[in-house]
Amino acid sequence: MSAGSLGANTLGVLAGCVLFGALAGAVGTFVLARRRALVADVAGHAALPGIALAFLAGEALGLGGRTPWLLLAGGACTALLAAWCVAILSRWRRVGADGALAVSLAGFFGLGAVLFSVVQSHPAGSQGGLRTLLLGSAAAMGHSEVLTLAALACATLVLLVAFSKELALVAFDEEFARTAGLPVRRLDLLLTLLLVAAVVAGMQLAGIVLVVAMLIAPAAAARNIGVWTQGRLGGVTCIAALIGALSAAIGVFASRSTAGVPTGAAMTLAAAATFLATIPLARTADRSARA
Amino acid sequence: MSGSLAIDLPAIAAALLATIACGSLGNWLVLRKEAMTGDAIAHAVLPGLVAGFLVSGARSAVAMFIGAALAGAAAVLLTTFVRRSTRLEAGAALGIVFTAFFALGVLLLETQGARQVDLDPECVLFGSLETLFYAAPQDGPWIAGVPRELWALAAAATLALGLNIAFGKELAAHAFDPIHARLAGRAPLLVERALLAVVTAAIVASFTAVGSVLVLALLACPALIAAPHARSVRGQLALSLVIGGALAIGGYFLAAHAERLLGSRSALNAAGMIAALMALAVPCSHALRALVSRRA
Repeated sequence: MSAGSLGANTLGVLAGCVLFGALAGAVGTFVLARRRALVADVAGHAALPGIALAFLAGEALGLGGRTPWLLLAGGACTALLAAWCVAILSRWRRVGADGALAVSLAGFFGLGAVLFSVVQSHPAGSQGGLRTLLLGSAAAMGHSEVLTLAALACATLVLLVAFSKELALVAFDEEFARTAGLPVRRLDLLLTLLLVAAVVAGMQLAGIVLVVAMLIAPAAAARNIGVWTQGRLGGVTCIAALIGALSAAIGVFASRSTAGVPTGAAMTLAAAATFLATIPLARTADRSARA
Repeated sequence: MSGSLAIDLPAIAAALLATIACGSLGNWLVLRKEAMTGDAIAHAVLPGLVAGFLVSGARSAVAMFIGAALAGAAAVLLTTFVRRSTRLEAGAALGIVFTAFFALGVLLLETQGARQVDLDPECVLFGSLETLFYAAPQDGPWIAGVPRELWALAAAATLALGLNIAFGKELAAHAFDPIHARLAGRAPLLVERALLAVVTAAIVASFTAVGSVLVLALLACPALIAAPHARSVRGQLALSLVIGGALAIGGYFLAAHAERLLGSRSALNAAGMIAALMALAVPCSHALRALVSRRA
Protein backbone atom coordinates (compact mmCIF):
# COMPACT_ATOMS: atom_id res chain seq x y z
CA MET A 1 0.00 0.00 0.00
CA SER A 2 1.39 3.42 -0.84
CA ALA A 3 1.42 6.32 1.57
CA GLY A 4 -0.92 8.22 -0.73
CA SER A 5 -3.86 5.86 -0.30
CA LEU A 6 -4.53 6.43 3.35
CA GLY A 7 -7.94 4.98 4.06
CA ALA A 8 -10.18 5.56 7.03
CA ASN A 9 -8.65 2.62 8.87
CA THR A 10 -5.13 3.93 8.28
CA LEU A 11 -6.09 7.23 9.82
CA GLY A 12 -7.38 5.38 12.86
CA VAL A 13 -4.17 3.38 13.13
CA LEU A 14 -2.14 6.56 12.72
CA ALA A 15 -4.12 8.27 15.48
CA GLY A 16 -3.57 5.28 17.76
CA CYS A 17 0.16 5.26 17.02
CA VAL A 18 0.59 8.98 17.63
CA LEU A 19 -1.30 8.64 20.90
CA PHE A 20 0.93 5.74 21.95
CA GLY A 21 4.10 7.64 20.98
CA ALA A 22 3.04 10.64 23.06
CA LEU A 23 2.13 8.41 25.99
CA ALA A 24 5.43 6.50 25.86
CA GLY A 25 7.44 9.71 25.65
CA ALA A 26 5.63 11.27 28.61
CA VAL A 27 5.76 8.17 30.84
CA GLY A 28 9.36 7.56 29.75
CA THR A 29 10.44 10.95 31.07
CA PHE A 30 9.41 9.91 34.59
CA VAL A 31 10.79 6.39 34.19
CA LEU A 32 14.13 7.82 33.12
CA ALA A 33 14.17 10.35 35.96
CA ARG A 34 13.50 7.55 38.47
CA ARG A 35 16.33 5.49 36.85
CA ARG A 36 14.02 2.62 35.92
CA ALA A 37 14.90 2.47 32.19
CA LEU A 38 15.74 -1.22 32.08
CA VAL A 39 12.66 -2.18 34.12
CA ALA A 40 10.76 -1.11 30.99
CA ASP A 41 12.91 -3.55 29.00
CA VAL A 42 12.10 -6.38 31.41
CA ALA A 43 8.40 -5.49 31.44
CA GLY A 44 8.25 -5.54 27.64
CA HIS A 45 9.84 -8.97 27.36
CA ALA A 46 7.80 -10.27 30.30
CA ALA A 47 4.52 -9.49 28.54
CA LEU A 48 5.13 -12.51 26.28
CA PRO A 49 4.09 -15.31 28.69
CA GLY A 50 1.00 -13.33 29.66
CA ILE A 51 0.00 -12.88 26.03
CA ALA A 52 0.41 -16.60 25.38
CA LEU A 53 -1.59 -17.48 28.52
CA ALA A 54 -4.32 -15.02 27.54
CA PHE A 55 -4.49 -16.62 24.11
CA LEU A 56 -4.86 -20.10 25.60
CA ALA A 57 -7.41 -18.85 28.15
CA GLY A 58 -9.40 -17.10 25.44
CA GLU A 59 -9.51 -20.28 23.37
CA ALA A 60 -10.49 -22.37 26.38
CA LEU A 61 -13.28 -19.98 27.39
CA GLY A 62 -14.59 -19.73 23.86
CA LEU A 63 -13.86 -16.01 23.55
CA GLY A 64 -11.40 -16.56 20.73
CA GLY A 65 -7.65 -16.36 21.29
CA ARG A 66 -7.12 -12.95 19.73
CA THR A 67 -9.45 -10.86 21.88
CA PRO A 68 -7.45 -7.60 22.12
CA TRP A 69 -8.36 -6.59 25.67
CA LEU A 70 -7.67 -10.10 26.93
CA LEU A 71 -4.21 -10.18 25.33
CA LEU A 72 -3.41 -6.75 26.76
CA ALA A 73 -4.62 -7.77 30.22
CA GLY A 74 -2.58 -10.97 30.13
CA GLY A 75 0.54 -9.13 29.01
CA ALA A 76 0.02 -6.49 31.69
CA CYS A 77 -0.31 -9.12 34.43
CA THR A 78 2.99 -10.87 33.72
CA ALA A 79 4.77 -7.56 33.02
CA LEU A 80 3.66 -6.30 36.45
CA LEU A 81 4.71 -9.57 38.04
CA ALA A 82 8.15 -9.23 36.45
CA ALA A 83 8.52 -5.64 37.65
CA TRP A 84 7.60 -6.86 41.15
CA CYS A 85 10.22 -9.65 40.88
CA VAL A 86 12.85 -7.07 39.91
CA ALA A 87 11.95 -4.94 42.93
CA ILE A 88 12.09 -7.92 45.33
CA LEU A 89 15.27 -9.50 43.94
CA SER A 90 17.21 -6.24 43.77
CA ARG A 91 16.77 -5.87 47.52
CA TRP A 92 18.68 -9.13 48.03
CA ARG A 93 22.25 -8.17 48.66
CA ARG A 94 23.97 -10.83 46.61
CA VAL A 95 21.72 -10.44 43.57
CA GLY A 96 21.90 -6.68 43.10
CA ALA A 97 20.01 -4.41 40.74
CA ASP A 98 21.52 -5.68 37.50
CA GLY A 99 21.28 -9.32 38.54
CA ALA A 100 17.59 -8.84 39.42
CA LEU A 101 16.90 -7.37 35.98
CA ALA A 102 18.77 -10.12 34.14
CA VAL A 103 17.19 -12.97 36.12
CA SER A 104 13.63 -11.63 35.75
CA LEU A 105 14.15 -11.00 32.05
CA ALA A 106 15.55 -14.48 31.44
CA GLY A 107 12.89 -16.20 33.52
CA PHE A 108 9.84 -14.48 32.07
CA PHE A 109 11.08 -14.40 28.49
CA GLY A 110 12.11 -18.07 28.76
CA LEU A 111 8.65 -18.95 30.08
CA GLY A 112 7.24 -16.89 27.23
CA ALA A 113 9.22 -18.90 24.69
CA VAL A 114 7.91 -22.14 26.21
CA LEU A 115 4.28 -20.95 26.23
CA PHE A 116 4.69 -19.58 22.72
CA SER A 117 5.60 -23.08 21.55
CA VAL A 118 2.45 -24.36 23.30
CA VAL A 119 0.38 -21.76 21.41
CA GLN A 120 1.97 -22.75 18.12
CA SER A 121 1.05 -26.38 18.62
CA HIS A 122 -2.52 -25.28 19.41
CA PRO A 123 -4.81 -25.84 16.41
CA ALA A 124 -5.95 -22.19 16.42
CA GLY A 125 -2.54 -20.73 17.13
CA SER A 126 -0.63 -21.96 14.11
CA GLN A 127 -1.71 -19.14 11.80
CA GLY A 128 0.83 -16.90 13.47
CA GLY A 129 -1.44 -14.09 14.63
CA LEU A 130 0.61 -13.64 17.77
CA ARG A 131 3.89 -13.32 15.86
CA THR A 132 3.10 -9.68 15.09
CA LEU A 133 3.30 -8.94 18.80
CA LEU A 134 7.00 -9.88 18.85
CA LEU A 135 8.17 -7.22 16.43
CA GLY A 136 5.08 -5.07 16.05
CA SER A 137 2.87 -4.40 13.07
CA ALA A 138 0.54 -1.45 12.78
CA ALA A 139 -0.92 -2.95 9.62
CA ALA A 140 -2.23 -5.93 11.58
CA MET A 141 -4.27 -3.66 13.84
CA GLY A 142 -8.02 -3.71 13.49
CA HIS A 143 -10.67 -1.28 14.63
CA SER A 144 -11.08 -2.82 18.09
CA GLU A 145 -7.32 -2.84 18.71
CA VAL A 146 -7.09 0.87 17.96
CA LEU A 147 -10.01 1.63 20.30
CA THR A 148 -8.52 -0.47 23.12
CA LEU A 149 -5.18 1.29 22.67
CA ALA A 150 -6.78 4.73 22.65
CA ALA A 151 -8.75 4.05 25.82
CA LEU A 152 -5.67 2.74 27.61
CA ALA A 153 -3.54 5.66 26.47
CA CYS A 154 -6.08 8.27 27.56
CA ALA A 155 -6.54 6.72 31.00
CA THR A 156 -2.76 6.54 31.50
CA LEU A 157 -2.19 10.14 30.40
CA VAL A 158 -4.88 11.39 32.78
CA LEU A 159 -3.28 9.52 35.69
CA LEU A 160 0.16 10.82 34.74
CA VAL A 161 -1.00 14.43 34.62
CA ALA A 162 -2.91 14.07 37.90
CA PHE A 163 0.10 12.74 39.81
CA SER A 164 2.95 14.41 37.90
CA LYS A 165 4.01 16.64 40.80
CA GLU A 166 4.33 13.79 43.29
CA LEU A 167 6.01 11.47 40.80
CA ALA A 168 8.54 14.16 39.89
CA LEU A 169 9.36 14.80 43.54
CA VAL A 170 9.98 11.09 44.21
CA ALA A 171 12.10 10.81 41.07
CA PHE A 172 14.35 13.75 41.78
CA ASP A 173 14.62 13.74 45.56
CA GLU A 174 13.44 10.56 47.22
CA GLU A 175 14.65 11.58 50.68
CA PHE A 176 12.82 14.87 50.57
CA ALA A 177 9.67 13.21 49.25
CA ARG A 178 9.79 10.77 52.16
CA THR A 179 10.26 13.45 54.80
CA ALA A 180 7.50 15.49 53.18
CA GLY A 181 5.20 12.55 53.92
CA LEU A 182 4.64 11.31 50.38
CA PRO A 183 3.84 7.58 50.05
CA VAL A 184 7.01 6.76 48.07
CA ARG A 185 6.23 3.05 47.71
CA ARG A 186 2.73 3.66 46.44
CA LEU A 187 3.96 6.30 44.00
CA ASP A 188 6.59 3.86 42.75
CA LEU A 189 3.83 1.31 42.24
CA LEU A 190 1.85 3.92 40.31
CA LEU A 191 4.87 4.63 38.10
CA THR A 192 5.26 0.89 37.47
CA LEU A 193 1.57 0.67 36.56
CA LEU A 194 1.91 3.57 34.13
CA LEU A 195 5.05 1.97 32.67
CA VAL A 196 3.30 -1.36 32.17
CA ALA A 197 0.29 0.39 30.63
CA ALA A 198 2.57 2.14 28.13
CA VAL A 199 4.33 -1.16 27.37
CA VAL A 200 1.17 -3.13 26.66
CA ALA A 201 -0.36 -0.22 24.74
CA GLY A 202 2.66 -0.28 22.47
CA MET A 203 3.29 -3.97 22.04
CA GLN A 204 0.95 -4.24 19.06
CA LEU A 205 2.82 -1.41 17.33
CA ALA A 206 6.42 -1.61 18.42
CA GLY A 207 6.54 -5.24 19.49
CA ILE A 208 7.48 -6.46 22.94
CA VAL A 209 11.24 -6.47 22.29
CA LEU A 210 11.46 -2.89 21.01
CA VAL A 211 8.74 -1.15 23.02
CA VAL A 212 11.34 -0.13 25.60
CA ALA A 213 13.03 2.06 22.99
CA MET A 214 9.89 4.17 22.64
CA LEU A 215 9.91 4.79 26.39
CA ILE A 216 13.59 5.67 26.75
CA ALA A 217 14.80 7.25 23.51
CA PRO A 218 12.28 10.13 23.17
CA ALA A 219 12.64 10.94 26.87
CA ALA A 220 16.45 10.92 26.65
CA ALA A 221 16.34 13.09 23.53
CA ALA A 222 14.01 15.52 25.29
CA ARG A 223 16.41 15.65 28.20
CA ASN A 224 19.24 16.54 25.84
CA ILE A 225 17.18 19.44 24.59
CA GLY A 226 15.80 20.14 28.06
CA VAL A 227 19.24 20.65 29.58
CA TRP A 228 19.51 23.46 27.10
CA THR A 229 16.18 25.00 28.04
CA GLN A 230 16.83 24.97 31.78
CA GLY A 231 15.22 21.56 32.23
CA ARG A 232 11.69 22.29 33.38
CA LEU A 233 10.11 18.85 33.81
CA GLY A 234 6.80 19.93 32.26
CA GLY A 235 8.60 21.18 29.18
CA VAL A 236 10.79 18.09 28.93
CA THR A 237 7.71 15.86 29.22
CA CYS A 238 5.93 17.72 26.43
CA ILE A 239 8.98 17.58 24.15
CA ALA A 240 9.37 13.85 24.87
CA ALA A 241 5.70 13.27 24.03
CA LEU A 242 6.13 15.21 20.79
CA ILE A 243 9.24 13.26 19.76
CA GLY A 244 7.53 9.99 20.65
CA ALA A 245 4.46 10.87 18.61
CA LEU A 246 6.55 11.91 15.60
CA SER A 247 8.70 8.76 15.77
CA ALA A 248 5.59 6.59 15.93
CA ALA A 249 4.07 8.40 12.95
CA ILE A 250 7.31 7.94 10.97
CA GLY A 251 7.24 4.24 11.84
CA VAL A 252 3.67 3.86 10.58
CA PHE A 253 4.37 5.71 7.33
CA ALA A 254 7.58 3.73 6.70
CA SER A 255 5.84 0.41 7.19
CA ARG A 256 2.90 1.44 5.00
CA SER A 257 5.02 2.79 2.16
CA THR A 258 7.70 0.08 1.95
CA ALA A 259 6.77 -3.55 1.91
CA GLY A 260 8.28 -5.63 4.67
CA VAL A 261 9.36 -2.80 6.97
CA PRO A 262 8.14 -3.67 10.49
CA THR A 263 6.54 -0.73 12.30
CA GLY A 264 8.40 -1.34 15.54
CA ALA A 265 11.86 -1.33 13.98
CA ALA A 266 11.10 1.81 11.95
CA MET A 267 9.81 3.81 14.93
CA THR A 268 12.67 2.63 17.15
CA LEU A 269 15.20 3.79 14.58
CA ALA A 270 13.41 7.13 14.19
CA ALA A 271 13.46 7.70 17.96
CA ALA A 272 17.09 6.59 18.30
CA ALA A 273 18.15 8.84 15.41
CA THR A 274 16.42 11.79 17.11
CA PHE A 275 18.31 10.98 20.29
CA LEU A 276 21.66 10.79 18.48
CA ALA A 277 20.93 14.06 16.68
CA THR A 278 20.27 15.85 19.99
CA ILE A 279 23.50 14.71 21.66
CA PRO A 280 25.45 17.80 20.46
CA LEU A 281 22.86 19.99 22.21
CA ALA A 282 23.55 18.26 25.52
CA ARG A 283 27.27 18.69 24.95
CA THR A 284 27.03 22.42 24.27
CA ALA A 285 24.77 22.86 27.27
CA ASP A 286 27.32 21.01 29.39
CA ARG A 287 30.11 23.23 28.18
CA SER A 288 28.21 26.45 28.80
CA ALA A 289 27.22 25.22 32.26
CA ARG A 290 30.87 24.62 33.07
CA ALA A 291 32.01 27.98 31.70
CA MET B 1 23.33 -43.91 16.34
CA SER B 2 19.73 -44.56 17.18
CA GLY B 3 17.05 -42.04 16.20
CA SER B 4 16.42 -40.51 19.60
CA LEU B 5 20.11 -40.19 20.45
CA ALA B 6 20.84 -38.55 17.11
CA ILE B 7 18.40 -35.80 18.09
CA ASP B 8 19.00 -35.52 21.82
CA LEU B 9 22.77 -35.77 21.93
CA PRO B 10 23.71 -32.83 19.66
CA ALA B 11 21.14 -30.59 21.37
CA ILE B 12 22.42 -31.49 24.83
CA ALA B 13 26.01 -31.03 23.70
CA ALA B 14 25.11 -27.58 22.34
CA ALA B 15 23.37 -26.60 25.57
CA LEU B 16 26.32 -27.81 27.66
CA LEU B 17 28.94 -26.08 25.51
CA ALA B 18 26.91 -22.85 25.63
CA THR B 19 26.70 -23.25 29.42
CA ILE B 20 30.49 -23.57 29.62
CA ALA B 21 31.11 -20.61 27.30
CA CYS B 22 28.49 -18.15 28.55
CA GLY B 23 28.14 -19.47 32.09
CA SER B 24 31.83 -19.17 32.98
CA LEU B 25 32.09 -15.67 31.52
CA GLY B 26 28.84 -14.69 33.22
CA ASN B 27 30.57 -15.05 36.59
CA TRP B 28 32.77 -12.08 35.75
CA LEU B 29 29.92 -10.01 34.39
CA VAL B 30 27.89 -10.65 37.56
CA LEU B 31 30.85 -9.86 39.83
CA ARG B 32 31.37 -6.62 37.91
CA LYS B 33 27.62 -5.82 38.18
CA GLU B 34 27.30 -5.84 34.41
CA ALA B 35 24.84 -8.70 33.99
CA MET B 36 22.70 -6.64 31.61
CA THR B 37 25.66 -5.97 29.31
CA GLY B 38 25.39 -9.54 28.11
CA ASP B 39 21.72 -8.99 27.29
CA ALA B 40 22.59 -5.81 25.41
CA ILE B 41 25.32 -7.46 23.34
CA ALA B 42 23.01 -10.41 22.61
CA HIS B 43 20.55 -7.97 21.01
CA ALA B 44 23.14 -5.74 19.37
CA VAL B 45 24.92 -8.40 17.31
CA LEU B 46 21.83 -9.04 15.15
CA PRO B 47 22.54 -6.46 12.38
CA GLY B 48 26.09 -7.80 12.10
CA LEU B 49 24.83 -11.38 11.73
CA VAL B 50 22.41 -10.32 9.01
CA ALA B 51 24.94 -8.09 7.22
CA GLY B 52 27.50 -10.89 7.25
CA PHE B 53 24.86 -13.18 5.84
CA LEU B 54 23.90 -10.71 3.11
CA VAL B 55 27.49 -9.87 2.11
CA SER B 56 28.64 -13.48 1.89
CA GLY B 57 25.38 -14.48 0.21
CA ALA B 58 25.09 -17.65 2.22
CA ARG B 59 25.06 -18.84 5.78
CA SER B 60 28.82 -18.50 5.97
CA ALA B 61 29.86 -18.87 9.58
CA VAL B 62 33.00 -16.74 9.20
CA ALA B 63 31.28 -13.76 7.56
CA MET B 64 28.42 -13.80 10.05
CA PHE B 65 30.86 -14.06 12.93
CA ILE B 66 32.94 -11.11 11.74
CA GLY B 67 29.81 -9.02 11.15
CA ALA B 68 28.41 -9.84 14.58
CA ALA B 69 31.70 -9.12 16.33
CA LEU B 70 31.92 -5.74 14.56
CA ALA B 71 28.32 -4.90 15.50
CA GLY B 72 28.94 -5.89 19.13
CA ALA B 73 32.07 -3.74 19.31
CA ALA B 74 30.29 -0.80 17.65
CA ALA B 75 27.43 -1.06 20.15
CA VAL B 76 29.82 -1.07 23.11
CA LEU B 77 31.72 1.95 21.76
CA LEU B 78 28.51 3.85 21.00
CA THR B 79 27.17 3.14 24.51
CA THR B 80 30.37 4.50 26.03
CA PHE B 81 30.13 7.59 23.82
CA VAL B 82 26.48 8.17 24.78
CA ARG B 83 27.21 7.82 28.48
CA ARG B 84 30.15 10.22 28.33
CA SER B 85 28.39 12.90 26.34
CA THR B 86 24.92 12.92 27.91
CA ARG B 87 25.45 11.70 31.48
CA LEU B 88 22.55 9.29 31.08
CA GLU B 89 22.45 6.43 33.55
CA ALA B 90 24.22 3.30 32.27
CA GLY B 91 21.02 1.29 31.81
CA ALA B 92 19.31 3.96 29.72
CA ALA B 93 22.30 4.40 27.41
CA LEU B 94 22.49 0.63 26.99
CA GLY B 95 18.73 0.45 26.38
CA ILE B 96 18.74 3.02 23.59
CA VAL B 97 21.79 1.66 21.78
CA PHE B 98 20.94 -2.03 21.83
CA THR B 99 17.32 -1.59 20.82
CA ALA B 100 18.45 0.63 17.92
CA PHE B 101 20.92 -2.05 16.79
CA PHE B 102 18.32 -4.79 17.15
CA ALA B 103 15.81 -2.70 15.18
CA LEU B 104 18.38 -2.22 12.42
CA GLY B 105 18.92 -5.98 12.33
CA VAL B 106 15.19 -6.66 12.11
CA LEU B 107 14.85 -4.07 9.34
CA LEU B 108 17.68 -5.70 7.34
CA LEU B 109 16.20 -9.16 7.90
CA GLU B 110 12.70 -8.24 6.81
CA THR B 111 13.57 -6.10 3.81
CA GLN B 112 16.62 -7.77 2.29
CA GLY B 113 15.15 -11.18 1.62
CA ALA B 114 17.24 -12.98 4.21
CA ARG B 115 13.86 -13.96 5.56
CA GLN B 116 13.41 -16.97 3.29
CA VAL B 117 16.38 -18.72 4.83
CA ASP B 118 16.32 -20.13 8.33
CA LEU B 119 17.51 -16.85 9.84
CA ASP B 120 14.32 -15.35 11.18
CA PRO B 121 13.84 -13.10 14.20
CA GLU B 122 11.88 -15.71 16.09
CA CYS B 123 14.68 -18.26 15.76
CA VAL B 124 17.24 -15.67 16.83
CA LEU B 125 15.17 -14.84 19.92
CA PHE B 126 14.00 -18.28 20.98
CA GLY B 127 16.75 -20.46 19.56
CA SER B 128 16.30 -23.78 17.89
CA LEU B 129 18.06 -26.39 19.96
CA GLU B 130 15.57 -28.90 18.61
CA THR B 131 16.73 -28.52 15.02
CA LEU B 132 20.31 -29.54 15.73
CA PHE B 133 20.65 -33.16 14.83
CA TYR B 134 23.28 -35.64 13.81
CA ALA B 135 22.95 -36.74 10.20
CA ALA B 136 25.23 -39.67 9.46
CA PRO B 137 27.25 -38.77 6.33
CA GLN B 138 26.97 -40.97 3.24
CA ASP B 139 30.72 -41.21 2.88
CA GLY B 140 33.64 -39.95 4.89
CA PRO B 141 34.23 -40.10 8.63
CA TRP B 142 31.35 -40.00 11.14
CA ILE B 143 32.56 -36.67 12.44
CA ALA B 144 31.43 -34.88 9.25
CA GLY B 145 27.82 -35.30 10.36
CA VAL B 146 28.23 -33.22 13.51
CA PRO B 147 26.24 -29.98 13.07
CA ARG B 148 28.51 -27.01 12.51
CA GLU B 149 26.95 -24.94 15.30
CA LEU B 150 28.58 -27.41 17.67
CA TRP B 151 32.07 -26.64 16.35
CA ALA B 152 31.53 -22.90 16.86
CA LEU B 153 30.24 -23.57 20.39
CA ALA B 154 33.20 -25.83 21.17
CA ALA B 155 35.60 -23.12 20.01
CA ALA B 156 33.84 -20.51 22.13
CA ALA B 157 33.85 -22.78 25.19
CA THR B 158 37.58 -23.41 24.74
CA LEU B 159 38.23 -19.68 24.37
CA ALA B 160 36.18 -18.88 27.49
CA LEU B 161 37.93 -21.53 29.58
CA GLY B 162 41.28 -20.33 28.24
CA LEU B 163 40.52 -16.75 29.33
CA ASN B 164 39.46 -17.97 32.77
CA ILE B 165 42.63 -19.99 33.24
CA ALA B 166 45.07 -17.46 31.77
CA PHE B 167 43.62 -14.25 33.24
CA GLY B 168 41.61 -15.47 36.25
CA LYS B 169 43.72 -13.48 38.70
CA GLU B 170 43.58 -10.28 36.69
CA LEU B 171 39.83 -10.61 36.14
CA ALA B 172 39.24 -11.17 39.85
CA ALA B 173 41.44 -8.23 40.83
CA HIS B 174 39.61 -6.02 38.41
CA ALA B 175 36.14 -7.22 39.39
CA PHE B 176 36.62 -6.69 43.12
CA ASP B 177 38.74 -3.56 43.16
CA PRO B 178 39.27 -1.87 39.80
CA ILE B 179 41.22 1.03 41.30
CA HIS B 180 43.66 -1.24 43.09
CA ALA B 181 43.98 -3.36 39.95
CA ARG B 182 44.93 -0.28 37.97
CA LEU B 183 47.45 0.84 40.57
CA ALA B 184 48.94 -2.63 40.80
CA GLY B 185 49.45 -2.55 37.04
CA ARG B 186 47.29 -5.51 36.20
CA ALA B 187 46.42 -4.02 32.78
CA PRO B 188 42.74 -3.40 33.53
CA LEU B 189 41.86 -1.91 30.16
CA LEU B 190 43.33 -4.86 28.31
CA VAL B 191 41.59 -7.33 30.62
CA GLU B 192 38.30 -5.50 30.25
CA ARG B 193 38.54 -5.51 26.47
CA ALA B 194 39.60 -9.16 26.37
CA LEU B 195 36.58 -10.05 28.53
CA LEU B 196 34.18 -8.10 26.31
CA ALA B 197 35.70 -9.63 23.17
CA VAL B 198 35.40 -13.18 24.46
CA VAL B 199 31.86 -12.51 25.75
CA THR B 200 30.91 -11.27 22.28
CA ALA B 201 32.50 -14.33 20.69
CA ALA B 202 30.65 -16.64 23.07
CA ILE B 203 27.35 -14.85 22.43
CA VAL B 204 27.75 -15.01 18.66
CA ALA B 205 28.68 -18.69 18.73
CA SER B 206 25.77 -19.50 21.04
CA PHE B 207 23.31 -17.26 19.27
CA THR B 208 22.39 -19.26 16.20
CA ALA B 209 22.08 -22.50 18.13
CA VAL B 210 20.50 -21.56 21.43
CA GLY B 211 18.91 -18.13 20.84
CA SER B 212 19.15 -14.91 22.83
CA VAL B 213 16.77 -16.05 25.60
CA LEU B 214 19.11 -18.81 26.69
CA VAL B 215 22.23 -16.70 26.11
CA LEU B 216 21.11 -14.04 28.54
CA ALA B 217 19.94 -16.63 31.05
CA LEU B 218 23.34 -18.34 30.87
CA LEU B 219 25.22 -15.08 31.32
CA ALA B 220 23.45 -14.22 34.56
CA CYS B 221 21.79 -17.21 36.22
CA PRO B 222 24.45 -19.89 36.85
CA ALA B 223 26.75 -17.31 38.47
CA LEU B 224 23.91 -15.97 40.65
CA ILE B 225 22.85 -19.50 41.62
CA ALA B 226 26.39 -20.35 42.74
CA ALA B 227 27.23 -16.99 44.36
CA PRO B 228 25.62 -17.48 47.81
CA HIS B 229 27.23 -20.89 48.32
CA ALA B 230 30.79 -20.32 47.11
CA ARG B 231 33.71 -19.22 49.26
CA SER B 232 36.09 -18.35 46.45
CA VAL B 233 35.86 -17.13 42.88
CA ARG B 234 37.23 -20.45 41.66
CA GLY B 235 34.63 -22.30 43.72
CA GLN B 236 31.86 -20.12 42.33
CA LEU B 237 33.04 -20.76 38.77
CA ALA B 238 33.11 -24.53 39.27
CA LEU B 239 29.78 -24.65 41.11
CA SER B 240 28.07 -22.44 38.51
CA LEU B 241 29.21 -24.73 35.70
CA VAL B 242 28.09 -27.90 37.48
CA ILE B 243 24.65 -26.55 38.43
CA GLY B 244 24.25 -24.81 35.08
CA GLY B 245 25.07 -28.02 33.22
CA ALA B 246 22.63 -30.06 35.30
CA LEU B 247 19.83 -27.53 34.73
CA ALA B 248 20.59 -27.42 31.02
CA ILE B 249 20.25 -31.19 30.67
CA GLY B 250 17.15 -31.29 32.89
CA GLY B 251 15.49 -28.42 31.05
CA TYR B 252 16.20 -29.93 27.67
CA PHE B 253 14.64 -33.28 28.58
CA LEU B 254 11.64 -31.63 30.20
CA ALA B 255 10.96 -29.65 27.01
CA ALA B 256 11.89 -32.18 24.35
CA HIS B 257 9.93 -35.00 25.98
CA ALA B 258 7.12 -32.77 27.23
CA GLU B 259 4.45 -34.99 25.70
CA ARG B 260 5.41 -37.76 28.07
CA LEU B 261 6.67 -35.73 31.05
CA LEU B 262 4.24 -32.78 31.13
CA GLY B 263 1.36 -34.09 29.04
CA SER B 264 1.53 -31.30 26.47
CA ARG B 265 0.35 -31.60 22.89
CA SER B 266 3.87 -31.45 21.43
CA ALA B 267 7.48 -30.82 22.37
CA LEU B 268 8.16 -27.41 23.93
CA ASN B 269 10.83 -24.80 23.29
CA ALA B 270 13.93 -26.21 24.99
CA ALA B 271 15.99 -23.02 25.19
CA GLY B 272 13.12 -21.19 26.87
CA MET B 273 12.57 -24.06 29.31
CA ILE B 274 16.23 -24.08 30.36
CA ALA B 275 16.20 -20.29 30.77
CA ALA B 276 13.04 -20.37 32.89
CA LEU B 277 14.39 -23.19 35.09
CA MET B 278 17.69 -21.36 35.64
CA ALA B 279 15.95 -18.12 36.55
CA LEU B 280 13.69 -19.97 38.98
CA ALA B 281 16.74 -21.60 40.56
CA VAL B 282 18.26 -18.22 41.50
CA PRO B 283 15.73 -17.21 44.20
CA CYS B 284 15.57 -20.86 45.34
CA SER B 285 19.32 -20.96 45.81
CA HIS B 286 19.36 -17.69 47.76
CA ALA B 287 16.43 -18.77 49.94
CA LEU B 288 18.22 -22.07 50.65
CA ARG B 289 21.32 -20.19 51.72
CA ALA B 290 19.30 -17.95 54.04
CA LEU B 291 17.62 -21.01 55.55
CA VAL B 292 20.93 -22.81 56.13
CA SER B 293 22.60 -19.82 57.76
CA ARG B 294 19.58 -19.29 60.04
CA ARG B 295 19.84 -22.89 61.28
CA ALA B 296 23.56 -22.70 61.89
